Amino acid sequence: MSRLLAEAMAVAAKDLRTEFRTRVALNALGLFALTVLAAVSYTVGPYRITAEDRPFLLAVLLWIVIFFAALAGLDRSFVKEEESHTAPLLRLAASPTAVWLGKLGFNLILIYLLMAILVPLFCILMGYKIMLVGGFVLILVVGGYALAVITTIVAAIIARAMTRGALFSVLSLPLLLPLLIFLIQGTAGASVGTSETVVNTLRAVLSMGGIMTIVSAMLFPVVWSD
Amino acid sequence: MRVADILKLLLLVWLAIVIVAAFLYVRPAEGFIGESSRIVFFHVPMAWIAVLAFLVSCVTSVMYLKRREPKDDIRASVSAGLGLLFAVLATTTGSVFARIMWNAYWNWDPRQTSITILLLIYAAYLALRGAIDDPERRASLSAVYAILAFVTVPFLVFVVPRIYWSLHPDTIINTRGANEFDSRYTQVLMASLVGFTGLYVWLYTIGCRIETIRQRRRQEVL
Amino acid sequence: MTDLLGIMVVTLMIWVGLFAYVYRLDRKVSRLED
Repeated sequence: MSRLLAEAMAVAAKDLRTEFRTRVALNALGLFALTVLAAVSYTVGPYRITAEDRPFLLAVLLWIVIFFAALAGLDRSFVKEEESHTAPLLRLAASPTAVWLGKLGFNLILIYLLMAILVPLFCILMGYKIMLVGGFVLILVVGGYALAVITTIVAAIIARAMTRGALFSVLSLPLLLPLLIFLIQGTAGASVGTSETVVNTLRAVLSMGGIMTIVSAMLFPVVWSD
Repeated sequence: MRVADILKLLLLVWLAIVIVAAFLYVRPAEGFIGESSRIVFFHVPMAWIAVLAFLVSCVTSVMYLKRREPKDDIRASVSAGLGLLFAVLATTTGSVFARIMWNAYWNWDPRQTSITILLLIYAAYLALRGAIDDPERRASLSAVYAILAFVTVPFLVFVVPRIYWSLHPDTIINTRGANEFDSRYTQVLMASLVGFTGLYVWLYTIGCRIETIRQRRRQEVL
Repeated sequence: MTDLLGIMVVTLMIWVGLFAYVYRLDRKVSRLED
């Protein structure tokens, strides 16, 4: 067990180091998020949406930015291995599950980093008032996890295909849409203060994330060792 | 051979009777505008087949990953193609129905959202298959995706409607929830379901046979 | 009423046409298999 974790952390650490050297995924994520945020903030701003629509519409905008930023950057960890031909070496060096855990960890860090910068900025620029801050943070954490789990396994799949770029979004979207719906509902609920919605969302997203984790863990070796 | 032919003829007659019954035997149901309830006899079975085809695709995908037999992959892809067809048909008939009942072709009510996502899953599955040349890799990767997609569907079908309503009380009624149907209505609906399932099975077997021949031809060329 | 009958007839024709097409396809495939 600890061997698995050690290998996984090594994989994640290596990815992080390479990422900070070249910053491709960070740039993709960050630039996309900030550009969209700037555009939305400028055109829509804190005053153009009526008070009753705000909780919901701002939740929609926030999660769309997060999701599309994720789609822009989270396939890096696998595609990079294929492009630089380091994949076969990685297959020899670590067990498939360790690779999966490591890549998942890497994507998680990317997502949480994105959220840490984007979410406060969004709330400030768009004047998004959240009543249940704790619930909101929980939704971000759990939602970010589910997002990372799903995109990690999809990234692994498309890295082995040919036309990678568009395929990542095409394959991820149908799987992410239900998650998106939950997260938007929950965030809107957190903004308004209905804790029941927040709890329902957390339950749904947690179970979704949990199931996807188990299924990904089982299927990843198939994808990886082809 | 003869038995199969009789079954096919039976299917022809069966669905023909269903069509006639849908228009002449059944009175328009309560709570529906005009004759629009008749669309349901075709729309619901189509949606049902779209989901059934998806189920078949997933089960055969799991079997492929276990046994690695090409015929399982053929089954998965044929069923996915059929599923896409029926999903498109279901979406079209559904939006016609929505136009009559609620004056808008599209409303994003939970059922419509679910069928759309199913459509997207099928499209993504076929796109993935199109992007991989090597047959074995294509088979295993698309099998993985089919299983992943299947895992998300229960959330769509069961969980989303419950959460969705709490925040957006919609004036749209889920027509399948309306239990005011008289017995004739249920009879024809059931008969239609059976007929459509038969049609799916027939198309599925033909599709599998065609693909098998195609694969055999490819082997012979090699 | 006649509108309804019209739709019914069209639907029937579509079904029979579809059936005929698939039946012929079935035949063709059977021939290829033998």
